[in-house]
Amino acid sequence: MKSVNTIVDRRDGKLVMAHFYVAFIALAIGGLAGLLQTLVRSGKFELPSWTGYYQILTIHGVVLGLVLTTFFIMGFQLALVSKTSGTLTAKQRKTGWIGFWTMTVGTVMAAVMILMNEASVLYTFYAPLQAHALFYIGLTLVVVGSWIDGAALIMAYASWRKANPGKPSPLLTFMAMVNTLMWIVATIGVAATVLFQLLPWSLGLVERVDVLVSRTLFWYFGHPLVYFWLLPAYMAWYAIVPKIIGGKIFSDSLARMSFILFLLFSIPVGFHHQLTEPGIDPAWKFLQVVLTFLVVIPSLMTAFSLFATFEMYGRSKGATGLFGWLKKLPWGDARFVVPFIGMLAFIPAGAGGLVNASHQLNQVVHNTIWVTGHFHLTLATSVVLTFFGISYWLVPHLTGRVLTKAMNKLAIIQGVVWAIGMTFMSGAMHAAGLLGAPRRSSFSTYGGSEQAMEWIPYQVAQAVGGSILFLGIILMLYIFINLAFFAPKGEEEFPVGEVSDAAEKTPMVFENWKLWIGITVLLILFAYTIPFIDMIENAPIGSKGYKFF
Amino acid sequence: MAQPEIGKKTNTKVEDQSSLKGTLASVFLLGFFLIITWVGVYFLFLDRF
Repeated sequence: MKSVNTIVDRRDGKLVMAHFYVAFIALAIGGLAGLLQTLVRSGKFELPSWTGYYQILTIHGVVLGLVLTTFFIMGFQLALVSKTSGTLTAKQRKTGWIGFWTMTVGTVMAAVMILMNEASVLYTFYAPLQAHALFYIGLTLVVVGSWIDGAALIMAYASWRKANPGKPSPLLTFMAMVNTLMWIVATIGVAATVLFQLLPWSLGLVERVDVLVSRTLFWYFGHPLVYFWLLPAYMAWYAIVPKIIGGKIFSDSLARMSFILFLLFSIPVGFHHQLTEPGIDPAWKFLQVVLTFLVVIPSLMTAFSLFATFEMYGRSKGATGLFGWLKKLPWGDARFVVPFIGMLAFIPAGAGGLVNASHQLNQVVHNTIWVTGHFHLTLATSVVLTFFGISYWLVPHLTGRVLTKAMNKLAIIQGVVWAIGMTFMSGAMHAAGLLGAPRRSSFSTYGGSEQAMEWIPYQVAQAVGGSILFLGIILMLYIFINLAFFAPKGEEEFPVGEVSDAAEKTPMVFENWKLWIGITVLLILFAYTIPFIDMIENAPIGSKGYKFF
Repeated sequence: MAQPEIGKKTNTKVEDQSSLKGTLASVFLLGFFLIITWVGVYFLFLDRF
């Protein structure tokens, strides 16, 4: 029987680190592109003639939204499973390497096409914008590679279950499984649109594409994509941060329940990204909005659980009063402080999400830069700062080094710099969005229109925030390189939380995948079947491809 | 027989270590923040559409 590892096996560690190297290279490239965008939109800076705003915007979105996240998450989940369910077998590890290389080859293909200005179609690659076929093939390989990585995780989980019949799997392995399954179900949508619609169309095999079907398939994938980013952060919040602060996990069952709810409710909700889309019956939009609001439940369960973990710990250390426990938290430990900033950012991020998902309120903010501000709080703060917080202990753990006091201090500074930069940038984006400033648009005064003039001070504030954030990226890269190659040798702890003694026993129903996948599929069929029949029955002739780059 | 303990008042306050009142207050504050944001944009909607 496999037992829990104190140290992740070096061979598994190398596989994880390979994923992280690509992720942090992506951070450097995508971060630079982000800085350039904010500078262009301030109106004070122009790009050289050989590149353009939309090319830079595509680099930023693809490299950070798709590459950084997928590589980091797959690496992190491999580390979690290797740590909590035992070292990967040679076959599982080999599968992981095949997944890694497939994703890497795909990334390079897509990146080359973007750099050659053959694919400035932004990270959502909406039709009828048409990219070079190699861009779509590259993205397909990234997805297929992630499935192969996922297969390695599922194999490792299956061998743990076989060796431990009748026992609930380790919490972090369970969470990685939920995220992997959700990812596989969700990516079927994007794979379908790319393979059956966009690829034949870009190769010239078919002349026209059904835009509505392709966008619907994209958002069938696009919303769970958001949860694919978020759930690894939740894994750290639920099951790792309690150990870092010296406390206990409030409840194992609550954590599992909330993950299962995310599996069920994060997929049949894509229409809330298409609320202004013609061609979808409002009744079905309403249904998917209701399902979207059900995702609020596990989010609030998470908030409750985290507050409770912190309060229980603080009180066990003698904290008194209503909020005395806050003072007892380890404010000098970057492994806690940096993800904590991420948790705080999730409060305004969640509030903004409720606005986005409400049909009427969506009309106030749709396609404005408010939306960009929103996902720079969710993904680029809550998720990314948690990933940075994870890196501060996981990278040295895997490379046999330690996070020194000096680096810990720098890491806290990094988190604070990020928070300041994002307050400026995302705050200004939210405000400008409420005033109607569009997203995905280069600098323009719109013929000197009075309304567009109102946006300019906010765009300057975005550039100030973007510059501060870029400083944060440089700090992060410096710390990453230090932890990977130069920090003193030693043993850095891999913190895995223990469940509170007061928590109830975990029921086995959570491991009943047939049940959960069955309900997931039913909900998807319920939410999407009739709308898809409508779209196909009433389809227009479709659109030819456009290349504006 | 002397009963020195009876009638003697002590001011020691015992805090319940398992109390989650801070959590309750926190989730309420969070809930209010969500509602205020939503209602704020809702009035913007009413104003504009």
